[in-house]
Amino acid sequence: MRSKFAPIAITAAAASLVLVGLAGCSSGGTPSSTDGGGDDVTLTLATWRTEDTAMWEDEIIPAFEASHPGITVEYAPVGTDDYNAAMQSQIEGGTGADLIMCRPFDVNRAWIEDGYFEPLAGTDAVKSFDETALAAWTDVDGNPFCVPIASVLAGFYYNTAIFDELGLKVPTTQAEFIDVLGTIKDSGKYTPLALGSADGWQLAYNVLYSMGPNYWKGEDGRLGLIDGTQKLTDPDFVAAFQAFADLKPYLPDGYESLTYEDMMQLFTLGKAAIIPDGSWDISAATATGLDVDVFGAPVAEAGDQRYQQEMPDQGIGMNAKSTHKEAAQEFLDWLATPEFQSLYVNKLPGFFSMGTEAVTYDNELAQKFADLKTDAKLTPRLALDRLSAGTPPLDDEIWVALQNMYNSGLSAEDATAELQAGLDSWYKPAQ
Amino acid sequence: MKSTARSYRNLILFSAPAFVVYAGFLVIPLIASVVLSFMDSDSGPTSVFVGFDNYVYLFTNPSTSERFWNALVNNFEFFAVHLIVELPVGLLMAALLTSSTLRRSRGVYRTLLFIPATLSVVIVGFVWRLIINPLWGIVQFPLLGDANTALPTIALMSVWEYVGIPMIFLYTALIAIPDDVLEAAKLDGANAWTTFWRVKFPLIAPQFGLIAILTYIWTFNGFDIVYALNGSAPGPDYSTDILGTLFYRTFFGSSGQVANPDLGATVASVVFFLILIITAIYFAVVQRRLKSYEL
Repeated sequence: MRSKFAPIAITAAAASLVLVGLAGCSSGGTPSSTDGGGDDVTLTLATWRTEDTAMWEDEIIPAFEASHPGITVEYAPVGTDDYNAAMQSQIEGGTGADLIMCRPFDVNRAWIEDGYFEPLAGTDAVKSFDETALAAWTDVDGNPFCVPIASVLAGFYYNTAIFDELGLKVPTTQAEFIDVLGTIKDSGKYTPLALGSADGWQLAYNVLYSMGPNYWKGEDGRLGLIDGTQKLTDPDFVAAFQAFADLKPYLPDGYESLTYEDMMQLFTLGKAAIIPDGSWDISAATATGLDVDVFGAPVAEAGDQRYQQEMPDQGIGMNAKSTHKEAAQEFLDWLATPEFQSLYVNKLPGFFSMGTEAVTYDNELAQKFADLKTDAKLTPRLALDRLSAGTPPLDDEIWVALQNMYNSGLSAEDATAELQAGLDSWYKPAQ
Repeated sequence: MKSTARSYRNLILFSAPAFVVYAGFLVIPLIASVVLSFMDSDSGPTSVFVGFDNYVYLFTNPSTSERFWNALVNNFEFFAVHLIVELPVGLLMAALLTSSTLRRSRGVYRTLLFIPATLSVVIVGFVWRLIINPLWGIVQFPLLGDANTALPTIALMSVWEYVGIPMIFLYTALIAIPDDVLEAAKLDGANAWTTFWRVKFPLIAPQFGLIAILTYIWTFNGFDIVYALNGSAPGPDYSTDILGTLFYRTFFGSSGQVANPDLGATVASVVFFLILIITAIYFAVVQRRLKSYEL
């Protein structure tokens, strides 16, 4: 009778192979063609923004071509999940696009080291950006390789109707912030903060990395961790984690299993007064017609310098193997002009220009977000540059530590000590 | 002689397409994956053979091994919930479906109970997440947010979805039992309870054992429901991380984690051997002892 089950045993073993089989697959990219016949030059632009195809083809590229006769640009997006692998195989195979959208920080630094990009130092394309804006796309010595296109900001959205009803003022210091939260909680009508801990990433990106720079002094603290002169266990960092922990009493019931989507629903239904979120959610926050405004992360003490999280999101660089470098350079120079910058960010509310020249935003809330930058020093998210390029990655570890601070009462001291120990286990600061 | 040669030729001819597909899509990727687990392709320009280094690293590196053992323990817990809840409930449903009192509405119940198994796991996860949402759901307690309850909760969602499979499996075995055996039991004075445990269950024991080992295989290859609910770094505090999500995170990378195909292949190979060994032991030791009766 054993033989009766032999085929089933084989089926069972076969079923178990599926998972392992997955590991055997490898992804490859399809090369894009670069044609360069005649006097006219055709440039290809590779990005991961498949959703913006119409915008590029109908608005932005025609604007460029109108002022640059003889150059045509072809928009060639690749889905964001496949983008890195596709670019690597195309560029190494010599078939890459002339212009390539650049991921921020570690991925791009690896690409620069592999010689994918033409250096841009000294060109017009990078003149209108300051060092912080270019930092996400430089090599280890600080030379720029991509033109910054757009960044995203983090802040605290608030429901102005609730603020008016309870007679609240926008908080500028941490003490005022806690007062405001306390007043809303005491009113008993609204949840003070639409914040849950089910999704760890947003605790880090929208809360700690937004409030924290006011404590670790933005770039001082971030670069201090990278060059090893500062530790997460230093008082500034512990204070930042503590400020994060101090929000815990103002979270809604059952916050442990509230997802990012739940939080936004709570806010847009008018049940919560404040939501810490990124600028990319401008449309979602106003979708139900609420009157929404935004304030920046409060400083520790009145009179302190304010720091604003500005996360570089997209840059564009030139393929070092491009056969149309002059035309590509013209395109990059154009990307740095206010004409392009204002066109681009107004088509994509929630994304912001990184240039030194101010850009006007048609979207009212986007303008308010942009105004947060004016009196603040800018800094990207804490742990994405170099500190997460090993195991355990600091960024992922911070997500979990922040969840544990809210869910199981991990203290700021213990959390920072654990995180620093994890980082020390692999990260060696460059000299 | 001639006819034997021809029949061999036919045998090869007819099994070739299936063999090619099976080899091309399962055997070769499997071997490639196991080979990958013995390589290091990150440190240098080319892949080099490093023996068991990846396995040693997976089992001993403090941060990696903590995740691995955690995922392994969670996976056993995930399997245990299925074994303790899904199989008995499936058996109960199958027994009720074959009981004489249900004779007319049997088809309706059978369909209703099997429907969840046809739903997409994303829908199941989403619907259950809303039902138990502490803001607008039926329970105030954050079931998915508490490290103690999150994994059993997810496992029970999976049980809810797939309970139809063991039910149908055991149901078909139960209806295959000839009526004369049951009539004989009745004539001997056995009541329904005795008939079930003394007559029916021994007859379907091989199928019950088989569905148990299949459940083991399915849960150790489990990934979708956890990923659909909690993503590739399943929280809170990795309490719902199982081997499938650990593999995914290691092999493909996650937001902050750099992809490491070699180590990912190592995790996949460990899962494969875990399943292979337990399944082999089961068939060698248990299944052959379960008597099958020729009816």
